[in-house]
Amino acid sequence: MTIFLNLVTIIMYFFFSKLNPDLTIFGISSTYLEFCFLGLSLQMIIGTSLSTVCGSLYNEIITGTWSTLLLNFNFLEYAIGNTIAGVLLASVSVVIALSLAFLFMGAFYIISFQELLLIFILFILILLSHMAISMIFSSFTIYYQKDSGLVSLLYQLSKTFTGVVFPIALLKGFPLFLSKILPLTYGLEALQSIALSDSVDWVLILGNSIILIVITAILGIASYFLVNWSIRHSKKYNKVDWY
Amino acid sequence: MSVEKTAKVINQFSSSEKTISFIVGFRATFSRNLKIIWQYKFSLLIGFVNTFTVACLFYYIANLVPNQLISQDGYSVNSVPFIFAGSMLVDISTRILMKAMNSFTSEIRQGTFETLATQPFGLKKYFFSEITFEVLYGLFFSLIYYIPVLLIFPIFRGIKVDVVSVISFLLLLVFVFLFFFSLSLLAANITILVKRGREISMVIIGVLHLLSGTLFPLSLFPNWLRIIAYFSPMTLAVQAFRLCLFGNGTIGDFSVWMSILILAVTSLIILLLFNLTYKKIYKRIRSKGTIHEY
Repeated sequence: MTIFLNLVTIIMYFFFSKLNPDLTIFGISSTYLEFCFLGLSLQMIIGTSLSTVCGSLYNEIITGTWSTLLLNFNFLEYAIGNTIAGVLLASVSVVIALSLAFLFMGAFYIISFQELLLIFILFILILLSHMAISMIFSSFTIYYQKDSGLVSLLYQLSKTFTGVVFPIALLKGFPLFLSKILPLTYGLEALQSIALSDSVDWVLILGNSIILIVITAILGIASYFLVNWSIRHSKKYNKVDWY
Repeated sequence: MSVEKTAKVINQFSSSEKTISFIVGFRATFSRNLKIIWQYKFSLLIGFVNTFTVACLFYYIANLVPNQLISQDGYSVNSVPFIFAGSMLVDISTRILMKAMNSFTSEIRQGTFETLATQPFGLKKYFFSEITFEVLYGLFFSLIYYIPVLLIFPIFRGIKVDVVSVISFLLLLVFVFLFFFSLSLLAANITILVKRGREISMVIIGVLHLLSGTLFPLSLFPNWLRIIAYFSPMTLAVQAFRLCLFGNGTIGDFSVWMSILILAVTSLIILLLFNLTYKKIYKRIRSKGTIHEY
């Protein structure tokens, strides 16, 4: 179903690209199709990394397995294990969708081995920052025993304001501010510089990577303390097996 | 429990005889759901931000082709209102479907569906009242959320629509929502069998968005895909919606009356399908013992 849904989304933007949106005015030399396929692929995987920890935890609470899980796992292990599993599964559907796009729609990316390594490092950084955000949302779920709906909100915000299907150069005022506080903006900007530009902008990639590392470190530490505090609170008030 | 007794219990929930009246049960479902929503007050605020974000997405995508004039059904309009109008209609309609599916999925996951289904109220009445609530709730809040969004993005400012077009437009909307009501009923029925409500609704929403040409005119489709697109009732509905809004279309125009007719007929067929299948599906999940599974 996910592969089908990803394909439907890609086909929709394929037909939109036939309206010939001009990206050169935003300083992007690639075609719209190449630009949005890169964004959509990343967004599909990041969506999984964002929702996995929080979503799985909510399911554990509802189905009553959360209390057993606390006895057997450390939350960080649980978060990392779930994210890797989710991201690997999501990547399969994205790779299939991209291969079909490559074969039938004419979206090409010419990437060297060095660039591929850079993409991989950036991908890991983006993934870690979103896992940290998901852990913060999980702490709210543990504390309130309710699904806050924040994951779907952040997913929608990331899809809209980080330059997934249109360049962030279109944004002004508050939407631009929103885009600057979302980690995917920095990751995607760096990836677009590698995969879509003729020459790699090292200053931009380095700058954005540092921003991603700082965001991940701050959110990671905050999430670790928040989750532990929520677990302690839920144990103290006997809410672990309660929904 | 013996087979006879099980059959008696099944008969009790599936028959409306000796059960409470529809109005009483309907009121109870409404009151219960309102209490649940009140517990999730925060999600009402998130709903607005979500609507605003979706509207932003379509607004900015449309602004990638800001100077294109799109001609369809005898009118010409700028691509920004064209894309925004189609996307808004599909977004509101599919939000209703999503709410209904999420509600059933949530009942199944939390194990409350089993209890609700065996109430003396009757399964069919429960389905109707639950979906009616979700449709009205989804519709009410979508419209409330879109008012500030339309004030932020004054896309339709300057568009003059005459009274007959407004009436035709409202009539069309009624049938669009009737279609989504029936679709939600049938999809909810399938959800209790396959237990994948969210996925089912996501696929339906994706296909409807693609086929109804929300982001582009249907003339960009190859012929074979355009033929397939017209099998979706929402394709003609979006076309008629845009015609009423930008081309002063009325009920006398082919695409408007045809759209209303197709929506009405499709809704009727879906309701009949629901009526034919709901008992069979319920019996099947009971006999397989999967009612409480997710």
